Amino acid sequence: MPDAENTELIKRAQTGDAAAFEALANQYYRVMFKMAFKWCGDRTAAEDITQEACIKLARGMDSFRHDSAFTSWLYRLVINTAKDWFKSQNRHPATDMEQAANIKAEESAPDDKILMQQVWAQIQTLPEGEKEALLLVVGEGLSHKEAAQILEVKESTVSWRIHEARKKLESLFGKEKKYG
Amino acid sequence: MDESALKKIMDDIEVPPVDENAQKRAVNLAVAEFKAHQNEKSQKSAQGTSFLSRLIGRSTPDRGSKDMKMNKKGLIFGGVAATALALLLVNGNFSENNIAERLPTGGGGVNNFSSIAENRTYSIASLPDFSGFFGKDENKQAAVAPAELTTPPGTAEASPAYVQAVEEANEEDMERAIISSNSTIPVPIEAPSDRLQLAQESRADAEQPKAPTSDQYPAARAKTDEGMAVAELKKSQAEGSSAPAQNSATDTNAKGFYFPSLKNKTAKETTPRAEMADKDMSAPAATTPGYAGQSNVIYPEPYPYPQPVPVPVPPPDYYPRPYYQEQGRDRFPEYKPNSFKVAQEEPVSTFSSDVDTASYSFMRRELNNGRLPPAQSVRIEEMVNYFHYNYPVPESREEPFQPTVTIVDSPWTQGRKLMQIGIKGYEITGEKPHSNLVFLLDVSGSMDSPDKLPLLKNSMKLLLDSLQPDDTVSIVVYAGAAGTVLAPTKVSERSTIYNALDNLQAGGSTAGGAGIELAYNLAEQNFNKEAVNRVILATDGDFNVGITNRDQLKDYVAKKRETGIFLSVLGFGQGNYNDDLMQALAQNGNGVAAYIDTLSEARKVLLDEASSTLFPIAKDVKFQIEFNTAKIAEYRLIGYETRHLNREDFNNDKVDAGDMGAGHTVTAIYEFVPVGSASARTVDDLRYAQKDAAKPAIEETASDSPFANEYAFLKIRYKLPNENTSHLITRPVTAADQRALQKIECGPADSCPASASDDTRFAVAVAAFGQILRGEVNMADYTLDNVIALAQDGKGADEFGYRTEFINLVRLAKAFEHRQ
Repeated sequence: MPDAENTELIKRAQTGDAAAFEALANQYYRVMFKMAFKWCGDRTAAEDITQEACIKLARGMDSFRHDSAFTSWLYRLVINTAKDWFKSQNRHPATDMEQAANIKAEESAPDDKILMQQVWAQIQTLPEGEKEALLLVVGEGLSHKEAAQILEVKESTVSWRIHEARKKLESLFGKEKKYG
Repeated sequence: MDESALKKIMDDIEVPPVDENAQKRAVNLAVAEFKAHQNEKSQKSAQGTSFLSRLIGRSTPDRGSKDMKMNKKGLIFGGVAATALALLLVNGNFSENNIAERLPTGGGGVNNFSSIAENRTYSIASLPDFSGFFGKDENKQAAVAPAELTTPPGTAEASPAYVQAVEEANEEDMERAIISSNSTIPVPIEAPSDRLQLAQESRADAEQPKAPTSDQYPAARAKTDEGMAVAELKKSQAEGSSAPAQNSATDTNAKGFYFPSLKNKTAKETTPRAEMADKDMSAPAATTPGYAGQSNVIYPEPYPYPQPVPVPVPPPDYYPRPYYQEQGRDRFPEYKPNSFKVAQEEPVSTFSSDVDTASYSFMRRELNNGRLPPAQSVRIEEMVNYFHYNYPVPESREEPFQPTVTIVDSPWTQGRKLMQIGIKGYEITGEKPHSNLVFLLDVSGSMDSPDKLPLLKNSMKLLLDSLQPDDTVSIVVYAGAAGTVLAPTKVSERSTIYNALDNLQAGGSTAGGAGIELAYNLAEQNFNKEAVNRVILATDGDFNVGITNRDQLKDYVAKKRETGIFLSVLGFGQGNYNDDLMQALAQNGNGVAAYIDTLSEARKVLLDEASSTLFPIAKDVKFQIEFNTAKIAEYRLIGYETRHLNREDFNNDKVDAGDMGAGHTVTAIYEFVPVGSASARTVDDLRYAQKDAAKPAIEETASDSPFANEYAFLKIRYKLPNENTSHLITRPVTAADQRALQKIECGPADSCPASASDDTRFAVAVAAFGQILRGEVNMADYTLDNVIALAQDGKGADEFGYRTEFINLVRLAKAFEHRQ
């Protein structure tokens, strides 16, 4: 979704226009929810996280300085909310992805489907830093630089984390089965 | 594992569709928060511009995050407040607007209730006009709106079929609202007073060149606003840059509430999207492609929603699914069905009583939804005990039940027999004890569907009807946090209680643990030694905040039980139902676990059987049966797998067991193979052990021994509710208990065997059904048709129609059986 269209809304919201803010929240809810879901793999948790994030957004609108894409900024908001949420819940993202990760069955062979579920489950168990880097770069298609900006780390850190994450996944899955 | 493979995996992960209710809730909360924040800001600026006040204003740079901390706690109250506010606004709409005037316009009138949001998310593009509807708060606009409504610009585009479809959807909504008799439907969408302005402005922007005639709202005003907005923005930016310290403080805020700061200038310049954003900022009056982009829609959407669907006539299945249903996260205790035991090796069988009925209601729900229940969810004892049997009732409260035993031939295996053991609790007559009840209600987000919170509210209202006027009721709710909604109140103040119930809204996570503590505290405060002190927990079973450890919860409930406060559990909903935990809690809390799938089930549990549900007559009721090895070769207990006790537990009063309320019936069925019925045996006799082991038994039960006639010896232990030592009831099971299973029409002169009661036939039919559902090997060729026939035979008077309902459920199951 091109952010340019919404600059108007964002700016209105920043001046205190509640209707604009509502529209904005409605518009980006799905994006945020998707991100939260990918983070935790659990629908209810994702809804809770998104709700938290929306509330944070309400207070934090002013701090968006238009110096990055709004979605990038949202990613950071959602990721931080998710981290906080899990901290406060004192629990870890779902590792049993059997139900959470409903792979589109018709598009994949059964073998692939199982593999994908396993991989997805493993992604959930990665350290936070690696997981968020992977979700942004691979999952959302951002460049390492963009991801670095969102995560507030150096670009090289993102590259390193992605490398680490892939190495881990590869050691689990890559050797047995060439996929993709 | 290369990147493309990973990418494919990540892309293919199916993110579930956004739940509209969740979205509405979140956005409503956020908007309320937003407004509150704006108020604060304006108050802050009203402090004045003096140097000092500015200093004070800046002295709390991370104020936002502090508030956020508090907010976590107050989230639920905030949610209630926000929705209440929204409700008021929507109501205001009704009263102030001339509804009749709006209805015929199709576009505006149908947009009430939750369908506002539904329409907005997927069909707003083709809806004619919103402005008139939303703009009612502003007098000026209201004057404009009716004129527009008579000739809404989009009317030509909206086909009659579509308008009709929308109206139908709204009607459905209404019907659902009526059926579930409130609360989910008035998902109130705030009608923001200034929305019209925005819509008008955007329209002005987009339509100016195209349809100047419809440009009733002066573009000049829009521009002025634009200009003001920019000025505001610049001002705020100036403030921001003049306070770099504040920025860095926000950035590194330990609460993880990070915002991009102006420091990141370098990154900004290289990010294409950021550049775009910047360009837009510098030229705020530039056209906004999102508004005018859809050329096939004459009236542009007020806001570009994600993936708008500009289909004129949506396909039928496009309409919202009834509500969001989680699938397959129900949790049930794991167990293995009891298998045959050789009487000589293990002559004693011990189990705890069970008066729960949850499994039956859950099965009913699954069948009514068109599928067979999962085998693990079928607990035969709960199915059998769902029904009321007319066992003889004891006369005194001191010995609260007397056992009834019937032996019949097993209908599913030739040569085996069934032993049905039934007890019925003493029924309270005369004055009922008083009750001190604390409703502990789950109002977390997961309860937000018609079969949960609304059903819960109505169930609780039913329960009030079975209480006496001076009983006390209090209500504790929990979601993200726990809170007391209703302090202890006499049942006679019914309207107060109803109000409290009606105001409940679902939302947030589930701090069940904290809720339980609060509920027990209330019950303790109001503790009445003479009364029944009970916490009634109503939930879908998802505890994910607070004490979430199952064992910890169980211990807590068990500890409180010692103080005389009991816990009963009412389960709701499906898809995320934690049956396992509910069972454990109720068992440890000396209470009943019932599953409420319909209002009539609520009536059965809370009204018809209120005295059983509320008033305990005995606790720790244990059964022990010793089989006479001379008469019985093998036996198995049908069901009660999760209620198994060790042999030594029977006499140990410290071991907890099931409890019985007034009038409760408990039925257990054993299947056994009599000695001599070799073909029906499941295992062979042991070649070496046989002789030695068999000898003493045979000697003792020789034909002249006093036990020759006895199949087994039944022992029941129980404690009276306020005692800690158990009492024992015993009864030998003899050949005199033998009956014919079938109903035998017998003339007075005939000498035919006495036939078993309707109750026995029915109980056996239910047990058979449960075993078939579990796919048990012992059922041989016994079919659902046999079950139906037997149940019909045992239906009896069936005053409330529960047994008829059972037969219909078996028929349903039969239909699915073929399908699978």
